[in-house]
Amino acid sequence: MIRIPAKVLIVDDEKDFVEMFSLRLKETGEKVFTAHSGQECLEKLAQERIDVVVLDIKMPGMDGVETLKEIKKRYPIVEVILLTGHGAIETAVEGMKLGAYDYLLKPADATEMAKKLEGARKRKDEHEERIRMAEQKSLLRRGGNI
Amino acid sequence: MDNIRLLLVDDETDFRAPLKKRLQKRGFAILEAGNGDECQAVMEDTPVDVVVLDVKMPGMSGIEVLEWIKDNHQKTEVILLTGHSSASDGVEGIKQGAFDYLTKPVEFDHLVQKIGQAVEKSRRDAEKQQEAAFKAKMEQQMISTERLASLGTLSTGIAHEIDNPLAIIKESAEYMRLLLGKAEHADMPRKSDFENAVGKIETAIERAKRITHQLLGFVRKPETFFAETDLKVLVAETVEFAVKEAENKGIQIVQDMAGVNGIIWSDPYEIRQVLFNLLTNAIAAIGSDGTITVSLKDTDSRTMLIVEDTGEGIPKENLEKIFEPFFTTKPPGMGTGLGLYVICGIIERLGGKIDIASRVGKGTRFQVTLPRSRETCGDMGDNKDICVDILNKIKGDPAK
Repeated sequence: MIRIPAKVLIVDDEKDFVEMFSLRLKETGEKVFTAHSGQECLEKLAQERIDVVVLDIKMPGMDGVETLKEIKKRYPIVEVILLTGHGAIETAVEGMKLGAYDYLLKPADATEMAKKLEGARKRKDEHEERIRMAEQKSLLRRGGNI
Repeated sequence: MDNIRLLLVDDETDFRAPLKKRLQKRGFAILEAGNGDECQAVMEDTPVDVVVLDVKMPGMSGIEVLEWIKDNHQKTEVILLTGHSSASDGVEGIKQGAFDYLTKPVEFDHLVQKIGQAVEKSRRDAEKQQEAAFKAKMEQQMISTERLASLGTLSTGIAHEIDNPLAIIKESAEYMRLLLGKAEHADMPRKSDFENAVGKIETAIERAKRITHQLLGFVRKPETFFAETDLKVLVAETVEFAVKEAENKGIQIVQDMAGVNGIIWSDPYEIRQVLFNLLTNAIAAIGSDGTITVSLKDTDSRTMLIVEDTGEGIPKENLEKIFEPFFTTKPPGMGTGLGLYVICGIIERLGGKIDIASRVGKGTRFQVTLPRSRETCGDMGDNKDICVDILNKIKGDPAK
């Protein structure tokens, strides 16, 4: 079975981290985009149909939580996984209340990251599926076939 | 003039005997010595408050005896008795540290008055000394508290900063691991060397991660959750966790909680962590075959949680350092040196305190005192409380 690659956007101001992480993800078959700030993240989202955003909470300028709010406002269907330092779990919890799929402590474990990416992507697929079904129903109803 | 011990040193029994009688009537406890040697022997045996010392004696002279007293019994005051024509002896004596001198024949009331003054002076000196010791102790305590606090701020800051490069190293290592596993690298020259090296990096990352995470666990968490906590249940549960490891090493864990209420207002999760860390330490300290006793005790407004082991004990020079971050006696990689440091932070957060007593070869005893109710939570860390505590210790032990 051919796996359809997920489109992942990695957002972190640590450029080396972004580079290595994206290399590894690409190697595992995902389609990876990168951004180094909240602003750049929103720009990339406008250009590409992203499935999952991996978002660092601590960034200069527009921080992770602000970026998350903006993502959820503009693209409510895009899933977000937060990356957080160990001392900032409360921020991660706040982020999940704002609609993030999950969070990971830095430095994150590769297998865990893979699991969460998979989960986030699945949730987005299911969400889209439900939207499609609902759309079909509404189309049918409009067509007067019920 | 109760409880004042006087030592009369004079070679003339005829002078000593009546003086002793009259002084005893005034309520002094009297000891006697006929010469310098006897005086030394008496004082080695019983500490005295005031010595009334004749200057002119056969054998050791009064001045020599005075020097010996001042060298060996600093707190004892000396009143010299000099001959009528030898006031210079008296002056010499005062220079050597005598309280005062009286010329013979001595007027009794005058002597009693002088003794009173000497006792008064000795009391003032003792008080001053206590005060100075107390001050020094307080200062030392404050210095070590401050030191711990600043060490804490520094190390948590470092931990945060290190997590970021650590994440990069981890990503890189995982990338390399992934590439090494690819089919295209199946026949790579010296592949196992590379794999070995990546493995070492991975292990080291895990080690560094443990350190930073433990350190950051010390950071004040806003969500400390106070609730009614049944320490008896909590102890029993926590011991359950440790019991298997202990049994494997021939260590018995005894619980002594009889007659204790054990219900306090605190954070059960944090106390569990404290107890678990203490138990882990105790098991490590024993190594194999021994006993750990976990007991609860109630005082007026506090409950004490005591963990006692029959382990190797902590040498005196290490006792002051065990609460510092990164202090460990384990080989590199085995212990982070953060366990007790974290405990310390938690207990402070809960408004309690931790005391330790240890003897090398005998074992160690950790005593955690926790406030029982909401009302007493606040005042535990109060400086005033520590002061009163130290003052009581000083005053409660007059022998020292």
